[in-house]
Amino acid sequence: MAYPFSDFKYSDGLSVVGISFCTAIVCEAISWVLIYRTNSYKNLRSSIDKASKKLETMKTDSNKINIKKSKTKKIDRVETSLKESSRDLSLFKFKSGGVVALVLFVVFGLLNSLFEGKVVAKLPFKPFGLIMKMSHRGLQGNDPTDCSMAFLYFLCSISIRTNLQKFLGFAPPRGASAGLFPMPDPKTS
Amino acid sequence: MKEGKSVKLNHQQPHQNGHLSPSKFAKLFDPEASWDKDQLGDVLHWIRQVLGLACGFLWGSIPLVGGIWFILFLALSTGIIYSYYAVILKVDEEEFGGHGALLQEGLFASITLFLLSWILVYSLAHF
Repeated sequence: MAYPFSDFKYSDGLSVVGISFCTAIVCEAISWVLIYRTNSYKNLRSSIDKASKKLETMKTDSNKINIKKSKTKKIDRVETSLKESSRDLSLFKFKSGGVVALVLFVVFGLLNSLFEGKVVAKLPFKPFGLIMKMSHRGLQGNDPTDCSMAFLYFLCSISIRTNLQKFLGFAPPRGASAGLFPMPDPKTS
Repeated sequence: MKEGKSVKLNHQQPHQNGHLSPSKFAKLFDPEASWDKDQLGDVLHWIRQVLGLACGFLWGSIPLVGGIWFILFLALSTGIIYSYYAVILKVDEEEFGGHGALLQEGLFASITLFLLSWILVYSLAHF
């Protein structure tokens, strides 16, 4: 196949990135159809946003004034509500997680068949340990700076999908992550 | 108790990414502006990504070779992020979850984006 970058030695790297980008878009489209457009998700998300903001306000106020018992109870109640909504949201997303994982797996298999044993890029550093196992997967030869498709696909999956979700507004609300692992309040003296 | 700037919760509709109005751009450099947690998080996230992409292109073009340059990128981007919210915006980090939370915003995505652009530019430009 002749295309503008075909004269570069490592144009395969661009192919991997291009395919990964298309895959990311497909995955977000699937997620939108299965999750984000549904009313139940929107309700869950708005309740999480409200609860986390309310919690923030209450904690800010409680830091300034002496803590009252009724205040503490209210904070606990909002925190409980936040945790429940976050858990529901996690279960909700788990539904489409399977489909997205399947797409990612199929695309990985496709790329594997296309680029197995091929050096798709050259690393500007010497990898070690787990990174080297990934970056040298399926390659022959002893040059540790040879980069396999698997490593490039891994980098694409994280960087492109994360930023695409952020850009489209699909990133999980921050209150949700705070609710799952409540951190102890830092004491201010 | 440390007398920090109180954060006013923004009740407006959150602005859409990529649709910043001119007044919103001015806010990016205004130490007097009030910041919602989500807003500041988003701004720090995208700054991290731009730095990752820019450093990756730069490192790959020159080219800078060796693991030391990865560490340098981490130090540089973290320093810029810290300077931005602590020196330019002058926000009280305790009201946003502390230094750790602000510095971690978008960090992992930035690292992978940096590595991706560094590797690709290096591979395509120098072989």
